[in-house]
Amino acid sequence: MIRVLWWRGLLFACLWWILAEGRLDGWLLGSIAVVAATWASVALWPPAAHDVRLAALPAFLAFFLTNSVRGGWQVALMALRGRGALQPAFLELPLNLPAGVPQVLMTNVLSLMPGTVGVELVAELTNARLRLHVLHQDLPVVAEARALEQRIAALFGVSA
Amino acid sequence: MTDWLSGALLIVGAFFYAAGTLGLLRFPDVYSRLHALAKADNLGLGCVLLGLALQAESLAAGLKLLLIWPLALAASSAVAYAIARRADRLGVKPWRKDAP
Repeated sequence: MIRVLWWRGLLFACLWWILAEGRLDGWLLGSIAVVAATWASVALWPPAAHDVRLAALPAFLAFFLTNSVRGGWQVALMALRGRGALQPAFLELPLNLPAGVPQVLMTNVLSLMPGTVGVELVAELTNARLRLHVLHQDLPVVAEARALEQRIAALFGVSA
Repeated sequence: MTDWLSGALLIVGAFFYAAGTLGLLRFPDVYSRLHALAKADNLGLGCVLLGLALQAESLAAGLKLLLIWPLALAASSAVAYAIARRADRLGVKPWRKDAP
């Protein structure tokens, strides 16, 4: 608990330093903001529930960046070709991740990955699933969603 | 060298913004348009911010520009989800090529 508070406080202090562009005269207000942000983060995202493994973060970020670029490039090409390039469909994807932050992160990141936008996250206990809108029904979105799921599971140190 | 790289990133960013806007205008339904906004425009924003950060006067100012990206990504992906979910609830069917 203390360790988590320390890390989050340090993160928010770095954020303040960036927002103040390195100036030193705002740190009184800054320290209040850092304490308030740490408190809010503990209230909204209790430690121990799902903690991010820092060791898995670089691989996740690399995966995310690569796929953001792919997704943006793909949809840009489709926009240049017009609606003839589309064959949209809805798709229902069963989720293997635990409820809470991992499922929400999965839903949000999928909207930035190639070909998919999250439409509805159904967080039922035994039958969690995600309704997706797919730009073209022949895209390999299920395989890519499973790859993302593995990355998120590794990020939180859970099984998927 | 930095100026060239920065300029190239700004141009690439502008291309993705243009493509995203083109998608917004040309795609047939609300769901497809969300793809264009959530992906192409965000990539454009990332390129523009990276290009500007290379020209920043201090490390903190550069990082501040880069910080905009994850915040805008989180907002736009959450908003895309909210719009798509609402459209689905209202019974908006996705556009199909065979039944326009």
